Amino acid sequence: MNYQVYNRDLCVGDIRVIGVSSSSLLMIGDTQTIQLASIFDTPPESLIIGPFVPLTPK
Amino acid sequence: MLQRTSIVNHLKVETISFSSFLEIGDSSYIQGFSRAIAVQREAEIFFGNEAQFQSYSIFKESIPLPPITEVITMNTIQLKPAIKVNTIDILGVSSSSVFHVGNSKHVQLESRVEHIRHLTRDSLNGKR
Repeated sequence: MNYQVYNRDLCVGDIRVIGVSSSSLLMIGDTQTIQLASIFDTPPESLIIGPFVPLTPK
Repeated sequence: MLQRTSIVNHLKVETISFSSFLEIGDSSYIQGFSRAIAVQREAEIFFGNEAQFQSYSIFKESIPLPPITEVITMNTIQLKPAIKVNTIDILGVSSSSVFHVGNSKHVQLESRVEHIRHLTRDSLNGKR
């Protein structure tokens, strides 16, 4: 695939962001490759109901 | 190849924490990694040295990325070599995140979070 790009005016007024978090990227500029990966897990056993004891390793 | 210039008039960031950074200028390679065990407890109890990362599988498994199977050639012509932003207002940049004003080549960021909820018995029977 041949990808031809013509960049003309690129003007943004205001950017308001509350949070850029957990390996996120806010970029004002050009780049060749961006590779963002995120994984999170909330398995059934992660809901613990009972007295507050330290999380001992499984 | 002519690269564009990023022009920002006003930039305001309240907090940059947990190995995050604000880059004003060009970079070539950015690599970030973030691991967290997010424990939400009903009481304010913090034991400090609980839970090891290796005891949760999420920190071991690999994240499958879609392979690029096609040959892509990109040709860019900068008729207006500028990216203009008037104001940027950010409250927080956290846990190995990046706020980058300028160009880069390769950016690779990864984040792994294990969420744990810790409730007490009486909150379930509606005593609270």
